[in-house]
Order: sequence, then structure tokens, then C-alpha cells
Amino acid sequence: MPQLNPEFFVSQLFWLVVTFSFLFVFLWRVSLPRIGNVLEKRERKITEDLTAAKELQAEASQIQEEIEKQLKQARTDASEMIKSSSIALQDKAQTELKKLDKELETKIDESAKAIDKSKSESVSQIQDQIHQITKLTLSKVASFNVSDDEIKKAISNSERSIN
Amino acid sequence: MAAKDSPLKQFEIVPYSNTELGSYDISFTNSSLSMVITVAVITLFLTLTVNPRSIIPSRMQLISELMYNFIAQLLSDTVGDNGKKYFPFVFSLFMFVLIGNMVGMVPYQFTFTSHIIVTFALAAVVFIGVTILGFVNHGIKFFTFFYIPGVPFYMHPLLIPIEVISYLSRPISLSVRLFANMLAGHTLLKVFAGFVVAMPFFTGALPLAFIVALTGLEILIAFLQAYVFAILTCLYINDAYHLH
Repeated sequence: MPQLNPEFFVSQLFWLVVTFSFLFVFLWRVSLPRIGNVLEKRERKITEDLTAAKELQAEASQIQEEIEKQLKQARTDASEMIKSSSIALQDKAQTELKKLDKELETKIDESAKAIDKSKSESVSQIQDQIHQITKLTLSKVASFNVSDDEIKKAISNSERSIN
Repeated sequence: MAAKDSPLKQFEIVPYSNTELGSYDISFTNSSLSMVITVAVITLFLTLTVNPRSIIPSRMQLISELMYNFIAQLLSDTVGDNGKKYFPFVFSLFMFVLIGNMVGMVPYQFTFTSHIIVTFALAAVVFIGVTILGFVNHGIKFFTFFYIPGVPFYMHPLLIPIEVISYLSRPISLSVRLFANMLAGHTLLKVFAGFVVAMPFFTGALPLAFIVALTGLEILIAFLQAYVFAILTCLYINDAYHLH
């Protein structure tokens, strides 16, 4: 078995010490710090990014809260405005209605008066005509004159009995 | 034992130079070449793939970071915060064994982790280091590590020697585990490779298929043994901090 041949033991040990020492020192001083730095840098970058993201998130939620607050304010403002304007409109409408009512009433009054007037006029005309017709009839049928006053009396009597 | 076509021939060390330091032979061999290749692969990969300015890693960089995090996680899981100091050492050990095993999986490449002297040297470094660490942390109290509390007093004459022996056999078990796994795996591959050539007609395809499957298994074992080496080192470091 070549492994148990001590001929090259010293040589192997010597080269093992040389190569392994070089490897150890090189890794210890050069390679491992480099890799460690890279990993550390990445870790730091990740944590920085995470904290920045968290801050931004907090900011965003704050902004959202503000927006919601403003929206709420706007909604209450709008509903208040609607309420007040509807009340004002109702008031206005009522006054307008009242005004209209009044106008209509006066117009109705006027027209009632006009109707009354025309009615009484027509009644007096009718009475006049009745009066003349009665007079004429009496003069034609009975051939006697009756004074106007008597005719008037008789007509008003008959009117009374009719009414 | 190492005949011309023996499956163990692959473990023979071939010197490329004839260098001597004092009276010692420190020739550059195929084993040394494997170690140099391993170290070159590790250092170049970990250096070239990592761009220190990149926030988003490339795929290759991701592999480097994955290995870094793998060992860092292993250390923090087993040792805790004390383990950070030993991270460069455990990482170097893991990468050295892992890439050493992987380089050994390349055909015609020498597997230096299949030599007991190499694995034993690594295990001895761990063992001696951990023992020194135990004495530095606990002073003379470190010997209470061999005393198991909550056991009837008459058991101690039996248990303390067992504990001492198990402690002293740590470097042996650590090194033999890696060495034996590599030796067995590579020998098995060679044996079946011999069958491919030796079997008549197309029946050689059968051991060839087996070799393909076995290569996959060997790559798994290469990773697994490096992991076991690293995690046992972590556990020993933990023992040096927390005696029982």
C-alpha cells in the first residue's frame, strides 16, 4: 500500500503545510472578507430598503387617512349645503305660492265682482224688459194704462214669490 | 503489493523533482501538484467570482456565497457566537478537503486525501488546536471533560479511561474516516475499470455502467466527507468551550 510507505511522508507534510497555510492565509485575509463585505452590504441594503418601504407605507396610509377625512368633510359639507339650499328653496317656493295665491284671490275677487256686476246689469235689463213687456201686454190686452210704479211693484212681488 | 496493474497503483507517489531541505526529501510530487491545483482552484474561484460592488450576485458568485453561508451556518449552529473566530480555519479546512476530493475525481488526477499522512496531519492540527483551546478556556478544569457527572462513583474508574481514550482517538477516527472513504472509493472504481477491460465482448458495458453510477456516489462521498470533517471540527471546538 503506497500510503504506508514513509518515503514521501516528509515531502507530503511539507507541501501540505505550504499549500494549506497559503490557502488559510489567503482565504482569511482576502477571499472571506470580500464575500463577507458583499453579504453585509446586501443585508444593509435590504434592511435600508425595507425601512424606507415601511416609512413610505406609513406616509401613504397617513395620506389616505387625510384624504378620507377630507372626503368625509366634503360629504358633510355637501349634505349640509343640500339641506340648507332645499330649505331655502322650499321657503322661496312657499312665498311664491303665497304670492300667487294672493294674486289669484284678487283676480277671483275681481272676476266675481265683474260677474256680479254683469249679473245685476243683466237682471236690471231683464227687469226693464219685463217691465216694458208687461206694460205693452197690459196696454194691448186690457187697454188700460198702468203706471210704471205699479208695474214695478207687481214685478217685485212676483219676484219675491218666485224667490 | 503495488504490482503493475494493481488498483492501488493510483495511490503511488511520483516525484517530479528531487529537492532536499537539509536532510529531508521535499520533492515536488503528484500529491503536491494536486494540493497546488486544489488551492489554486479554491482561491481563484472565490476571488474571481466575487464582485465586491455587486448587490445582485452572479450565478458563480452565488456559489461562493452559498459555501460561505453554509460553513457560517454550520459554525453558528454547533458552536454559536464563539465560533466566528474559527470561521476562516473551518472554511479553509472544508474547502481544502472538498476540492481535494473533487480534484481526485478527475481522471488521472492524484487524490491527496487518500493518503493517511495528509488526513492525519489535518486531523492532528484540529486535535492539537482544540486541546490548546480547551486549556486556554478552562485551564486545569479542562480535565473535568473526562469526568461524566451524574454517574455512580464506582463507574468512574471505568468511564474516565474510556473518555480519555475516546478523546485521544479523535484525530485517528477523523483522519481514518476520510482516508478510508477515499481509498475504498477509488480502489473500487479501479477494480471495476479493470473488469471493463477484462470482460469479453460487450459484457464490459455492465461494469462500465456500474462505474458511472459509482462516480456519482463518489462525488456525493467527496462532499459528505468534507462536510463530516468540517462538522466534527466544529463539534470539537464546541467541546473546548462547553465541557459537557
